[in-house]
Amino acid sequence: MKPFHLAAALGFALAFISSAAEPTAPMPAGELAARLSALRQNGTSYVRVKMDINGAKKEALQLQIKERRSKTATDVVYQVLWPKERKGESILLRKSGARAASGSIFIPPNTLRVIDDLKAPLLGSDLSYEDLVEDFFAWERQAIVGTEAVGGVNCQLLESKPGKGERSSYGSVKSWIDTRRMVPLRVEKYSGSGQLIRRIDTTRVVSDAGHHIPANLTVSGARQGSSTELDGTRIKHGVAFTDRDFTTDGIKEIVTPRGSQD
Amino acid sequence: MTFFTVVVRGLLRRPVRTGLTLVGISIGIAAVVALVGMASGYEKGIGKQLDVIGIDVVVSNMSGGILPKVYEASLQERIAKLPHVADTTAILMQMLSIEDAPMMMVSGRQWGGFAWEKLKLIEGRMPRDGTEKAVVLGRLAAEVLKKKIGDKVQIEADELPVVGIVDGQALVENGAIILSLPVLQEVTGNEGKVNFIDIRLTPKSTKEEVTRLCEQVKEIFPAGRAMVASEVVGTSQGFRIARAMSWSTSILAIVVGVLGVMNTMMMTVFERTQEICVLLAIGWKRSRIVRMVLWESALLGFLGGLCGVAIGVVGVKLLTTLPSIRGMLEPDLNPRLLGTAVGIAVVVGLVSGLYPAWRSSRLTPSHALHG
Repeated sequence: MKPFHLAAALGFALAFISSAAEPTAPMPAGELAARLSALRQNGTSYVRVKMDINGAKKEALQLQIKERRSKTATDVVYQVLWPKERKGESILLRKSGARAASGSIFIPPNTLRVIDDLKAPLLGSDLSYEDLVEDFFAWERQAIVGTEAVGGVNCQLLESKPGKGERSSYGSVKSWIDTRRMVPLRVEKYSGSGQLIRRIDTTRVVSDAGHHIPANLTVSGARQGSSTELDGTRIKHGVAFTDRDFTTDGIKEIVTPRGSQD
Repeated sequence: MTFFTVVVRGLLRRPVRTGLTLVGISIGIAAVVALVGMASGYEKGIGKQLDVIGIDVVVSNMSGGILPKVYEASLQERIAKLPHVADTTAILMQMLSIEDAPMMMVSGRQWGGFAWEKLKLIEGRMPRDGTEKAVVLGRLAAEVLKKKIGDKVQIEADELPVVGIVDGQALVENGAIILSLPVLQEVTGNEGKVNFIDIRLTPKSTKEEVTRLCEQVKEIFPAGRAMVASEVVGTSQGFRIARAMSWSTSILAIVVGVLGVMNTMMMTVFERTQEICVLLAIGWKRSRIVRMVLWESALLGFLGGLCGVAIGVVGVKLLTTLPSIRGMLEPDLNPRLLGTAVGIAVVVGLVSGLYPAWRSSRLTPSHALHG
């Protein structure tokens, strides 16, 4: 075949495949970050997650997550449902305004202590406690630093840095945002000296109640040769939590929320 | 030397190139067999489940994708009173990640409803009543979860004892965790909710009567839909997407196959210019030259199709042994699909050979003198 014919045929096929990766109109950094932050402040939700920790010791955990987020405050509870040996381990985290997050951990039958290091790993995974409550899209300093494709999807590269009075162990966070679906497809978190601390890749996005949300995540980089996979299996919005659910007494019990919508 | 000897020798002249082209077509056809077989198997599995249980009409709110949204169970009473409804049963079906296994079907069934009838007990017993916090496992589910009678299965935050292992006579049933409806409603926080109301019709209901029944269900449940069981799979958005995706991926694989064969056949024609010209000089007609090229490409497609079907069948069998798929899918590798796949390969070969054949027909004996 003449080279032209083959090139034309391949060009057609590639054009067909890459049509899904058309660039979207760029958005100012502040607006993009504000929209992403607003999406996180979505009231109450209940999420079921399977967490696979692939480190020196491989471990699978079934978790239930209760979240109550607003513009001014975030309350998060992580509870281990399975395996039996760890059932009931619970984490309560709270962040209010620009203040530093605080939290408690409960280990059955009756150990309850305050979390003094928010950089410590969450339940032995590659995530830290801080990662669960910190909303870096709400930070003061936001900038678009480029565009890059992730998995064939064109993304805007958003760099977030904490402003004065905003407390974080990270110096900056880069996010690759799919602006069409308003989902970060990759997040990299750096120390103050610019060293990569943690990378979070979105491996599956699902449509839920008119929004797109990351359903599967892979977290790596925190420890040599270790990664954690999070597989979101179920989400409910508008859940009727009680205030007790977000107290140190409340996390001593495992309660599945009632009367919520799928 | 016969015509077919010339055809076969044409392919054997460059065995490595022919072999690589065969590999290309085989992979494309294997993709067709695997993807379409899997999608079709899933559809048939659901269809068989409805058939085995004896469901005539299904009421659900299918806007949620593969599994429908939950709705009020109280709707069942109103549906049961409609004309031509002989029996109804309510089901809450959830896809849940259980312990360290991937997503599994968990089926909460109205106690005493007809959905329990066709479960054959292999071991143990059925739950004593609708309130007993216990499960029976389909035989594949028991294998996947590595559970036996007396073990406990954790569903959400509750640990429920396994009291029986059943043969549900359909893959979907055998891969499921089955328990009574109120227990699953409580465990998942869905009290008073279901996502299926299954209907058995009175004998000899006519098509018009069934259509009218579906309309009446729509009147009392505007967000939902009543569908004749045989239409459930065909009209589900999730299944339609799965089917479209399997075919579109297959078509891409086929396009790559077409380009591969076309390239091989063009090279063959160019390399054999002198031979073709000599054949024309000794009296071969142009149509015979065209047929020779088309036979070669069709033979290439046919052989690629046979290899592809073999690779596809073996590949799918291996895939279904993977822990994440086992018990969820039973591929439908029926003779019609396998025949269609070989047919596609032959058509791919013929289509790919058209242009090279046309080029070969443009040659004249004098081209041989130009080298």
